[in-house]
Amino acid sequence: MSKDEPTDEELLQRVARGDSRAFDTLYDRLAPRLYGLLRQMLHDEKDAEDVLQDGFVQLWDHASSYDSSRAKAFTWAVMIFRNKAIDRMRALGRRTRLVEAASLEHATLGDKDVLPGADEDVQSRERADIVRAALRQLPEDQRKLVELAFLKGLTHHVIAETLGMPLGTVKTNIRRGLMRLRDLLKGGKDGGAL
Amino acid sequence: MEERFEELAALNAFGMLEGNEKRTLDGIAFHNRALKDLCADLEEAAAHLAGVVAPQVPPSAIKGRILQRIRSRRAGGSAAYSSGGSVFWTLTGWAAAAAFAASSAWLWVGRERIQTQLASVSSELAVVEKARESLREGFQKQIDALKVEIASLQKRDALAQVRIATLQSSVDTYKQGVAVVVWDSEKHQGVLKLEKMPPVEIGKDYQLWVVDPNQPAPVDAGIVRVDDAGFAKVEFKPVTDVTEVSRFALSVEKQGGVPKGEGPIVLIGP
Repeated sequence: MSKDEPTDEELLQRVARGDSRAFDTLYDRLAPRLYGLLRQMLHDEKDAEDVLQDGFVQLWDHASSYDSSRAKAFTWAVMIFRNKAIDRMRALGRRTRLVEAASLEHATLGDKDVLPGADEDVQSRERADIVRAALRQLPEDQRKLVELAFLKGLTHHVIAETLGMPLGTVKTNIRRGLMRLRDLLKGGKDGGAL
Repeated sequence: MEERFEELAALNAFGMLEGNEKRTLDGIAFHNRALKDLCADLEEAAAHLAGVVAPQVPPSAIKGRILQRIRSRRAGGSAAYSSGGSVFWTLTGWAAAAAFAASSAWLWVGRERIQTQLASVSSELAVVEKARESLREGFQKQIDALKVEIASLQKRDALAQVRIATLQSSVDTYKQGVAVVVWDSEKHQGVLKLEKMPPVEIGKDYQLWVVDPNQPAPVDAGIVRVDDAGFAKVEFKPVTDVTEVSRFALSVEKQGGVPKGEGPIVLIGP
């Protein structure tokens, strides 16, 4: 993205005023990353496409509620799309199917060397590197549970049951992992600020 | 901040909370700014994880379908959709202007007719208003007489002044607790009985609050100390007069109590 191009946040603010060109540009920027996330969460191309459509319609409808002082545009969008994906999983009863061990084993983010997409800009890649580095700093059991919680939309009860872990341990590791991740992403000890 | 609140905030950030747990967090965060900020903070941290997922270009037809849906919602009153310069929207603008001009002409022609009708309706309305006022006065007299009768009956029956309420909790730790309040609305005092309440941390006390809808904040009704078995029976009287009681609440506060609630509400009712 060159210096003259509007930021995602500026585009989203223009979308809130009904600017369809800004929406068009914002879609081109965000859709690949959001679609990649939905494919990994839902494991189904059709479901991912449906949620992508619903999510962008919701983004259009609720753009006026976006507050750039509280979150980046991409972060705000992720919350919308991820919640929609979880709703879809729940509606389809996918939670039961997703507890299969194979599915859980593949729920990883940090260890994989994800190749950047052709459209991915330098800023996005840098952000991804910072998050990946922060994930690597988490203890193994915390990292695994954080990734599982993020990608699978499973409740802590289901995770504990599936992995054969005490519920308290699952909750503690998720809490510690996410709070540590937050600190690292804010530029805490050995972390790069986003 | 208590670990269990941090735990709820973390689970919430991943959309893992359901039912009671979600309601509990929302209820506490509504009054607790620090917890609300933590929830937002952790939601943002969780959302950053999406940045490391490999991007995939969605099928090109999807974008068209989304734009189509947005255009169709426009008719339903959703956010205005402006592409700024397309022929379609330009023509639509002219069409709207023409329709507006036609409507204005029609309204002008009908204006005289409507003014005549309005004068006639106003005169009928005045007659109806007079009849309505007369009826209203009759009803008011009946209501006043009934109020006097009710007041007299309430005075005769002392039990009518006594209200019994049970307090309940949606927080697991306090679900076993039993709390009953007997409130005398004439004397403005009551009795609280607690059973099976877990002990509070060192340096904390349970504190009772009376919620009066006519006052801006719950009224302090004193601290309550339970014995080793979690039992307590105390008489209480709110520090200021209450005119009406809608709820009672028990919270955990600093030892000795606080004038205005700061800690989490653990029991509330009815």
